[in-house]
Amino acid sequence: MSDRSAAAVARSARGERVTALVIGLVLVLAGVAALVVGAGWVGTFRAHRPLLDPLATEWLAARGDLARVGALVLGLLALVLGLRWAAGALRPEHRPDLVLDREPGTRLTVTGGAVADAVRADAEAVEGVTRARARLVGGEDRPALRLTLWLREGADVRAVWEELDRKVLDRARTSLGVDRLPTAVRLELEAAERRRVR
Amino acid sequence: MRVLLRVLSALLGLAVAAAGALLVVEVAWAWARPDDVPLVVPWPRWRDGLSGVDWADDRVRWLAAGLVALGLVLALLALLARRRDVRLADPAPEVTAVTSPRSLARVVGHRVRAADGVAGASVTASARRVRVRATSRMLDEDALRPRLGQLVGEVVGGLPLARRPRISVIVDSPKDRR
Repeated sequence: MSDRSAAAVARSARGERVTALVIGLVLVLAGVAALVVGAGWVGTFRAHRPLLDPLATEWLAARGDLARVGALVLGLLALVLGLRWAAGALRPEHRPDLVLDREPGTRLTVTGGAVADAVRADAEAVEGVTRARARLVGGEDRPALRLTLWLREGADVRAVWEELDRKVLDRARTSLGVDRLPTAVRLELEAAERRRVR
Repeated sequence: MRVLLRVLSALLGLAVAAAGALLVVEVAWAWARPDDVPLVVPWPRWRDGLSGVDWADDRVRWLAAGLVALGLVLALLALLARRRDVRLADPAPEVTAVTSPRSLARVVGHRVRAADGVAGASVTASARRVRVRATSRMLDEDALRPRLGQLVGEVVGGLPLARRPRISVIVDSPKDRR
């Protein structure tokens, strides 16, 4: 197993998961802190102080410009991070092209769609495969192939395995002239065949 | 879960960005023209309101409880949005293969339902465990369970799984209720 092929199995949700977890924990801590203060566990006097404490507002007013700059920085930070978070979630997954020759002046690329179509057609010819979908994923300089195969009921998975590596992937590597093409294969077993509705 | 997290991430990200933008606009406006009314957010009214509410107020408590609940939902969603793929043995170097828990359950389910004496079956599967719940009208649990356990073992063993899941079989039969 290589890291690149394992990473190509599915689009990563790590960024969104970490952000959601951090924000969730911050909200829990803030809520618990407010409940603790309200319950009087840090003093009954504190529990009956106003939410916007004059002590705090006076402290801020004494540092007027600093407080304003702080608020501006906080707002800009929220704007940038919020937009990045949303954009990361909304952006479609990157589909890189395959760069075969990086010599200056003779740059040769194969579009991701062309590679995917060729591999898909080869994969659909494998015995036992009813449908295939291929796509190049990953960064421009470290592309990987993601291949989804739907297998017919009763198909021999081990035979499909062998043919897949021997015919499809080997052919893709040879025809593209690369020695390595990290690949993630997703198998859907015994899926009902799609029927055309007339 | 992953789709829900993605949609929620987009919405929350936009909300955070909007709040940040409003903060910047209002602070800059109030700094430049201290005597004017605020642009968008009526914050002097909010400020007066917040000065009149203390921490022990019921509204504050409900809001705090709401924050805790929202935070827990968000954290739980983040933890549950992991991949549930079932790893298969790698067919070749630089090739990673997976299948879905649903696929594994479908394969096992087809074979179990085709077995003699089985009226119906439901299967749930993960990378670690395959659970089969079969119903039978003709056979009781003692007769059918070992056979189904062996069958499921053969089916699972025939797939090139990276890790062999534990198998549990339950048979539900009217014969056992007499």
